[in-house]
Amino acid sequence: MSDYLLQQLANGLILGSMYALVAIGFSMIYGIVRLINFAHGDIAMIGAFTALAALMAADLPIIVVVLAVLLVGAAVGLAIEAVAFRPLRGAPQVNGFITSLAVSVLIQNTGILVLTAEPRSVAFPAFLSQPIAGLPITVDLVDVLIVVLAIVLMAALGAIVNRTRLGMAMRATAENLDVARLMGINVNRAIMAAFAIGSALAGMAGLMWGARYGQIDPMMGFLPGLKAFVAAVIGGVGSIPGAMLGGYLLGLAEVLFVGLLPPEYAGFRDAFVFGTLILVLLVLPNGLLGRAAEDRA
Amino acid sequence: MPVPVLEIDAAQVWRGQTHVLHGIDLTVGEGEIVALIGANGAGKTTVLMTISGLLRPRDGAVRYRPHGGDPVDLARLAPEAIVGLGIAHCPEGRQVFASLSVRENLLIGAYLRRDRVAVAADLDRVVARFPILGERARLPAGSLSGGEQMMLAIGRALMSRPRLLLLDEPSLGLAPQIVETIFDILGDINRAGTTLLLVEQNAAMALELAHRAYVMETGRVTLSGAAADLADNPEVRRAYLGAADETMAGR
Repeated sequence: MSDYLLQQLANGLILGSMYALVAIGFSMIYGIVRLINFAHGDIAMIGAFTALAALMAADLPIIVVVLAVLLVGAAVGLAIEAVAFRPLRGAPQVNGFITSLAVSVLIQNTGILVLTAEPRSVAFPAFLSQPIAGLPITVDLVDVLIVVLAIVLMAALGAIVNRTRLGMAMRATAENLDVARLMGINVNRAIMAAFAIGSALAGMAGLMWGARYGQIDPMMGFLPGLKAFVAAVIGGVGSIPGAMLGGYLLGLAEVLFVGLLPPEYAGFRDAFVFGTLILVLLVLPNGLLGRAAEDRA
Repeated sequence: MPVPVLEIDAAQVWRGQTHVLHGIDLTVGEGEIVALIGANGAGKTTVLMTISGLLRPRDGAVRYRPHGGDPVDLARLAPEAIVGLGIAHCPEGRQVFASLSVRENLLIGAYLRRDRVAVAADLDRVVARFPILGERARLPAGSLSGGEQMMLAIGRALMSRPRLLLLDEPSLGLAPQIVETIFDILGDINRAGTTLLLVEQNAAMALELAHRAYVMETGRVTLSGAAADLADNPEVRRAYLGAADETMAGR
């Protein structure tokens, strides 16, 4: 395999890690409340600015920054659930979609108001941008950490969902809310857990985005958020493994599209992403790992 | 009649905009099997949902007497609190968690119990009663047949150690032989000390199993009494047991 292709695959893996982390939250939240949280990408933006603030103001060690971003992401997710989703439980789905779009616009514009729309550079500790020596391709330490951390977080998520009492309660609530209540499950707590976990992962993706690309701004969550949503749909929305798979496939496809086709097509990368979505849904209407469509009023 | 476990007093229940229960009175005594029969849409399922807390009465009371405790008004409690008091609701159409394994479905029935040792013992007991659930323990519940899912739904309800078990149409959609098996097991469960409130369209089976019964029509109780007496009542025989109308036949 040529070094060039290898480099593209590495880049795709890194981008895919971030898409996957955001896509998981879309799927978890959809799975449990049957609503898409369109403000989910903006939580990544908040995570990126949390990292910036923690690094600038306090010069905290990177591990503390990571924990702070996870906590702030979870807190923002819980706040969105309490303010925008809980009051609408039982209302038609469309109301929830529109409300979450409004929350997204609100977060972005508050960000512009407070932080200005000017992109800012995030100064992560210098050792993170050291290239890994002895490889035929250019990979920095931060890139390796992004991929490793994403895998660790996904493994932890899998353990929580499949092996704990809380995870069992979340799966049961996602499948049948009323019967979950008959079992004694506090469904509000299960729903809050899904929002908190999914949003913490999105915040983490925002930190990674800032660490890899160096610049962040209040609108940065919108397009990657939309693409992560596409990844979740490709994987089969509601399925956590599907979201992971969709995230990596989309990251790889996007990078390979830009890297392998003549440069004049590079401007079409977003069109390519959404074109892929249409193609996948034409063949597999429920996504790669999704279940047959269901409707829960 | 034995000491009442549950007393419903003039309950008025609405589902959305529809007034479903128009002042229901119903009593279930300790250790009894009480059947609730009636046509589709009479409000039988609504009665069970009102007891387990999925619906709240607009008026009237639902009193439950926990073991040796003072009566509790269930109308004020959420379903997740009511199951903790010892009332398990086995819902219509089984409604097992299809994507969870058989074993997880059983464990989730004991969700509120913290006594791990006793839960493990109860799991063994349920599997002894329904061996098929032991054989299929690791499979997703959605892969079971209808009868197996019914057994799982009953087993799941038993895992909460209920004092009062609410059963909604356990015969629905099952082959007659399986229904026989299920009803035999319900009799065993009752003899082991659990009180049953059984909603059934299959009135013949229900009246055979139950000690007492209530007949419901459009949100009201129209008849009640010993199950054997109701089974002989000409009205009940004509409307619910499929017996030929003798006066018509005589003409």
